[in-house]
Order: sequence, then C-alpha cells, then structure tokens
Amino acid sequence: MGKPDQFSRRDFLKTAGVGSLATAVTAAGEADVEAQSGPRVVGPGEVPVTLTVNGKRLELRIEPRVTLLDAVRNRADLTGNKRVCDRGACGACTMIVDGRTVYSCSTLAIEVQGKQIRTVDGLAAANGTLHPVQQAFCDKDALMCGFCTPGFVMATVALIEKHPNPTLEQAKKGLDGNICRCGTFVRVLEAAMEAGKGAARG
Amino acid sequence: MADPKYAWPTKPTLLSTHVKRLDGPDKVTGRARYTYDINRPGMIYGVIVRSPHPHARIVSIDLSAAEKSTGFRSAVTAKEPGTRVFYQGDPVVAVAADSEEHARDAARLVKVEYERLPHISSEAAAMAADAPAVFPNGSTRKANADETGDLDAGFKAAAHIVEATYATHVITHVCLETHGTVCEWDGDKLTAWVSTQGVHQCAQGFAQALQIPQGNVRVITQYMGGGFGSKFAPDLQGILCAKLARQAKAPVKLMLDRKEEHLDTGNRPSAFAKIRAGVDSNGRLTAFDAQSWGTGGAGATSGFPLPYIYDFPNRRRQHTDTFINAGQQRAMRAPGHPQGCFLTEILMDELADRVRMDPVAFRVKNLPPAAPNAMWAEYFERGARQFGWDKRHATGDPTPGPIKTGMGVSAHRWGGAGRGSQAHVDITSDGGVVVKCGTQDLGTGTRTIVAMVAAETFGLPITAIKPEIGDTLYPFSGGSGGSTTAASVTPAIRVTSVNALEQLFAKVAPTLGVQPAELVAEGGRIFAKGNPSKSLAWKDACKLIGTEPISVDGKWEDGLSSSGTSGVQFAEAQVDIETGIVKVTRILAIQDCGLIVDRLTAESQAYGGVVASINFALFEDRLLDRSTGQMVNPNMEWYMLAGMSDVPKIDIVLNNMPERGVIGIGEPPTVSTASAIANAVRNATGATIRSLPLHPHKVLAALEQERAGGTL
Repeated sequence: MGKPDQFSRRDFLKTAGVGSLATAVTAAGEADVEAQSGPRVVGPGEVPVTLTVNGKRLELRIEPRVTLLDAVRNRADLTGNKRVCDRGACGACTMIVDGRTVYSCSTLAIEVQGKQIRTVDGLAAANGTLHPVQQAFCDKDALMCGFCTPGFVMATVALIEKHPNPTLEQAKKGLDGNICRCGTFVRVLEAAMEAGKGAARG
Repeated sequence: MADPKYAWPTKPTLLSTHVKRLDGPDKVTGRARYTYDINRPGMIYGVIVRSPHPHARIVSIDLSAAEKSTGFRSAVTAKEPGTRVFYQGDPVVAVAADSEEHARDAARLVKVEYERLPHISSEAAAMAADAPAVFPNGSTRKANADETGDLDAGFKAAAHIVEATYATHVITHVCLETHGTVCEWDGDKLTAWVSTQGVHQCAQGFAQALQIPQGNVRVITQYMGGGFGSKFAPDLQGILCAKLARQAKAPVKLMLDRKEEHLDTGNRPSAFAKIRAGVDSNGRLTAFDAQSWGTGGAGATSGFPLPYIYDFPNRRRQHTDTFINAGQQRAMRAPGHPQGCFLTEILMDELADRVRMDPVAFRVKNLPPAAPNAMWAEYFERGARQFGWDKRHATGDPTPGPIKTGMGVSAHRWGGAGRGSQAHVDITSDGGVVVKCGTQDLGTGTRTIVAMVAAETFGLPITAIKPEIGDTLYPFSGGSGGSTTAASVTPAIRVTSVNALEQLFAKVAPTLGVQPAELVAEGGRIFAKGNPSKSLAWKDACKLIGTEPISVDGKWEDGLSSSGTSGVQFAEAQVDIETGIVKVTRILAIQDCGLIVDRLTAESQAYGGVVASINFALFEDRLLDRSTGQMVNPNMEWYMLAGMSDVPKIDIVLNNMPERGVIGIGEPPTVSTASAIANAVRNATGATIRSLPLHPHKVLAALEQERAGGTL
C-alpha cells in the first residue's frame, strides 16, 4: 500500500476554486469532494482511512461506505467480532470506541478515525492470559456456538468498566443490547456478575 | 451388544461432572475461526440475486451491466428464463466480485425480468376452493387418517367434550452465523469451509451436485454459529459458491445476509388442529378426534405428532399439508414436537378444568405406563414439589390489580439415539493422544465430550487429549441432528480408546512383569490392579511404544447409548391485563438424557432449549404480507427474540441415568416451555389463548372475549 493521500478541505478549495456550485467528480478510486459549506464529502471511491485498533495504527484504503466492522474484518483480518443482523439490533459486532460500546456494523470506519477502538481480538494479554471477563465466560460456560460471544464479552467489559460490581439490574441493562440464539443468557449474566465482583476487588 | 470391556466406568472421574468446554478460550478471544471468518489469499466475494416475488416466471436475465461493474469476477445462473420462482428469496443468479461491496453492486446491476403469477400466502388460501394453481399437484395434500380404538364409544363414555381449534405459527431458525461457504479449488479438488451440521454429508452433496469424485472434496467446519436443524447440506448457495470459484479461478466467500437467512434457509412449519376431545367424570381421557393442517412452505411437509404423550384410548387424526409461496421448512430443534405439545397441552388444561382436577393430577392420571424413557409421573411429582405448585390458584388469578400471576405445566419426549460413528486414536511415544472423529461441534460441546471420553478411558486429564473434529479428513460421523451426536460419537470414542489402551497394556505388561489383563489406567498412571507398586507414569509407559504409534480405528457399538428421553417443565408468568404483556418469571425444567457426559454443557443445552421456547411462545413470528407474499420482518429488530431482561429465573434438574448409556439432550428441553407458559397465562387470566405467539394484542383480544362471554 502506498503512502496515504494527505487530503484536506483546504487543498480541495485551492484546486477547485471557491464558489463553484459544481460537484467535483474524479475518477473512480480517487476522493470526491463537494466544495460547499457543511461537511466534507468524500468517495465513492477508495479513500485513506486510519484507524487505531487495539492500540495499533491501521492504515487502510477503503470506500467511505465501508463499516468499521467490515474494515477490521475484511481488511485487517481481525475476525473476532461478528456480523449477524447488520443493522444494530443484535450486538454481535459490539466494539468499544473511546470507552463506549458501539455497534460496529452500523458505524462507518471513516467516522471513527482518531478514536481508540477496542475489539475482542485485542482483549486478552499479549502472553495469552484471558481478560477476567473472558475467563468468567469460560468458567461459567456462558457460551455455546460462540458467535454472539465476542459481542457479549465486549458489552460486559464496558459494563464493568462503568460499574465495577454491578447490580443485577445494571448488568441486565448493560447486556440488553445483545442477542444469543443458543440461549446462554442465564450463564452470561452469571459470568458478568462474577467478572464484576473481580473488577470491584481490583 | 458391545463387549463388556467397553462398558462405561461405574465410578467415573470425569463423566457426569462439570467440565469446561475446551474451545471456550478460542471463542471468547475471537481466535475461533468460523466459516464467516475464513479469509484466503486472493479471496473474492459472492452474492445471490433472489426473486423479490412470491411466484413468477422468469422472462429474461441480463448480466451485461453487472459484468461491466467494478471488480466483477464471475456469474452463475441458478435458474433459466422460462422457469418459475416459487417464493420471495428463491435464488436466480449468483455473482462474485473482488470485495463484498462490489459484489453487492454487481448484484444490483443484474436485470431480471419477471412475469408475476398468482400466489398463495396463507394456509387458509391454500385450502380455499378457488386457490390459484401454483403447485403441480395442487396446494393441499391430505394424508390417510390414523385411527385407533372405537371413537364413537369413546365420545359416548365422555362426561365432557371440548371442541376448539389450536394453532402454532411459523418461526425461522435465525442462526447467528448465516448459512454460507468459502470454496477454494486446486485443480479438480475442492476445499469447502461450510457452516454446517454435517461435514461428511456436505462433501457428498458437493460431489453429487458438481459431478466430481467425493474423494476430491474436503469439507471443514472447525466452528459454526448455530444450525438448529437447518444446516445439513451445501444447499444451493454452497453449490453456487463452488461454481463462482471455479469460474473466477479464485477462492470465493459466500455468506448469506440476514434477510436471505430468514427467507431461504428453513423454518418451523405452522400447525393447526380442529380438535374434539372427551373426558369421563373420573378424569380419564376417552376420545380424541382431530383434523390437522399446517404449512412447510413451497411444497414441503408439515407433520407433527398429535395427540402428544397422553393416553387417549380412542383416537383419530387426519393431517393435510398445505403449500404456500414461502421458503421451505427444514428440521428445527425437535421437529414437530413443540407444535404437537402445544396443541395437546392447552387442551389438557381445558379438560382438567371441565372435570375440576388439578392439571398435574389430571396429567398423571392419563400418562402411558412409566418406563425408563417415560418418567413423567415422577417428574411431575418432583417438579410440583420444587416449584411450589401447591400455591397455584384455580384458573383466573383472584388478586386485584392489573398484574395477574399463574402457573402452568407441560411434558415432552424425544428420541436421541446413537448410530454408526467412526473414530481413530493415535498414542505416540511422547505420551500424546490424538482422537479423530469427523463429527462437528455446533456449540453443543461435542469437541469437549470427545476429549472427555478418551481422557476418562486413559485415566488422563482432559488437557492431555487432542480432539480433532470438523473435517472430512477424519473418520465418518453423521450429521448433528435429532440429538444424535453425543450418543453416536461417545461410544465410538470409547470403543476405539479401549482398544488403543489394550495395545498399550500389551507393550507395558512385560516391563511390569504382569499380564496385560491385570493393568488399569488411572490418575495418569498405568498399574496392576491390586498391586500399585507395579506401576508406570503414562509418559514413561508410552516411551515403550517406539517409533510406530499405537494407531487404532474403531466404531460405534450398540449398548453404550440408547434412545428415548422424557421431561417435564413448569412455568410461572405474569400477565399485565391492561397492556397484554406477558412476562415469564420462573421456569423449572426436569430432564433426563441417559448417562450425562458433561454436566456443564448438558445444563447449557437445557437452558438454551428453554430460552428458545420462550422465544417461540412470546416473541418470534415469521410474518407474511397476505397481499404481496413478502416477509415483513426479515431482520432482527421486527423479528423479535428475547434479550437479557426477558429471560426469567431458570432452574434445570438433570436426572442422570448412567445405566441407560448416552442419549442426546439438544432438542427435548425446547419442546415444553412454550406450552407451560401458555398454560400459566391461562391460569393467570382465565382466558384461553389457543394459538402462539402470545403477543400482547392476542392476549388483550382473548381477555376481551372472556369478558364478553368466555373463551371456554
């Protein structure tokens, strides 16, 4: 991959001229920009997008329509988080962006540049030691087929970062955005409470 | 029957204990690679173009614009002009391009011209005299009546007769990992990663459809994200994927999207029955007469057992399949049983009320004789005690206020027999044990029980065993359906491991100066029975193996597994009679499955079955628009499923019956819950809702009807 294009609104204005109502359409693969007030418009071709995922910089060339989920799965081979409903209803794609859970299937990669993105792939320690939430899921058998598990794990991590030692109601609310078809809920809740106790002990 | 040397140990160290699943760490870290996660060098993406119409003739297919689109690589037609599509989602063309986005662009540019034809979107429309001619042999198929005893005499003996129509709805499997495949060719050899419940069946399916030798096909399924009965074959999407890959000379990933998954990968058929049933003044069932029907979609069957469990001495039942323009049904977790169970169990509570009997006592009075596979009487009694059934009020909660609470109960059965699995065990001179079996783990814990059985046999910790499954390179094992996997796989592993251990004993015996028959393997050592001083640690014993490993093939034998399970479930529910919202507060599930292999994962199966049945009762519903034949909720926000806050307190009681051998547990726990909930709602409100799902509008309508003169 070549050096990412340095592209700014100022550069565009220099070349396209101010005050033109015409939309600049460049060849496919180049960035398109509408030189009007308001948000910058890019695409539909590939544009440089830089993401910070699990503490590492990912420099990608992707179309602006590519979601955060597809960007990390298909372009960076970080396949832990899953696409299930593809419209923000099931939580299998849950990632943590700047400390908040997001449905990465419904978040454009281009929108989360400069933010700290955490996926399930980066949760365990470098030496392989599981995060306490991951360990609790294993201990309680809070997973079956495992396809919803990465999303549940990330939602649980966000939950106990916000509420160490959560109440049952807090835990249920924190995990209500995720769906499991195998029906592991009882044990997911047990795992969340167990991990939460650990988090409270520090 | 199997040789006694294979018998399950009477004092096991691992079997029937709580053993954590071996692949838990891979799944919680995201390391587990599902078919959907397979990324191959040079891989491109496939997308299927499907019929938007429920019934139409294809006039023309124009690929020219798609072929010119950015990144286009290959296209394959599934249907030719002049042929018909029979449901929304019927595949027409598949295209592949260099990215998922470009593949979707190309699919949008495929121009298919259709001549729309009349369609059928409901069971009633299929049975109407003026139903349009859609299917070659008509839109109904009536089976022969099934009749036992003397129906007239039965109804004459009845003191009370209930006559009503009962129904359950169509639901879809909603596997979280959609159906799909990654196909890669090497010359005329195909490697296919498939999200499947049957790797060997898939290899056969690919070979037949692509007309290549089965030996040229390798199918791999290390992890898969749910099947529930819908994933046994490559399906058309798998074959199209293989063809796209062959044409493009590149590996192709083709995973269905959520809408396709709802439309074209199976569903649980609907079930209707107009039932007339009689009971005598002593509470004995006397007669049962039912006309039943249902739909499995476009040309598929809709059978289910009826009546269910209880002993109606005189009975008749006639079933009619109805065909509609919707995707075909597939086996779905305990096929037929949740339907037959609901239709019968609601009726049972109505009959119990007629004779003023407690529903538990009434059921116990009408059970078939108790047997190892028919333990209901014991479970009813045990469950009633544990659940606090004595606190149940008669039908209709007398408590003032809008929240009414009730209890309900239901019983179920299932088979779960084993059949011919094969296995291979290698023991190497470094003490390593590799167990190979071409089964697959759907999330049920198969990988873990394979290792458990070998570890138990060799007296080793489970971590000392390397289980290899999910690949057609390993010995044949059947599809994981019908709750047959545990009962098929564990005997094969046991037999093969015992035979491998005998070979090891033969190598070790001379060194220890004993006969091989005197040796046992326990606690990581091999020693002479009654003389522990003649002993070798496992690793030292294996050093005697030499360079040629102990390498043993074996297969399933009769006597280590059996068939037939029973279960009873109790439910407590709260109904808000102002909003119609039902909230389940407690479930108690009592279940047997013969010899419990891994208690931890067996319990998870039971929890999961209960949750699935709560979904069936309260939430999910495939909705077809009657005029357009379109599914109106092919997604996961309007196709509702339970979330964390919807899940009640669930207690699981597993009855271990080691003398019966291993029996599967995947399906039975999902049969009863919906019926028990519906009976709890009836007990709470006094209104009888004879169809699922128990959506708020139906609860309110039933309450309105009850106020207007009664639902009884």
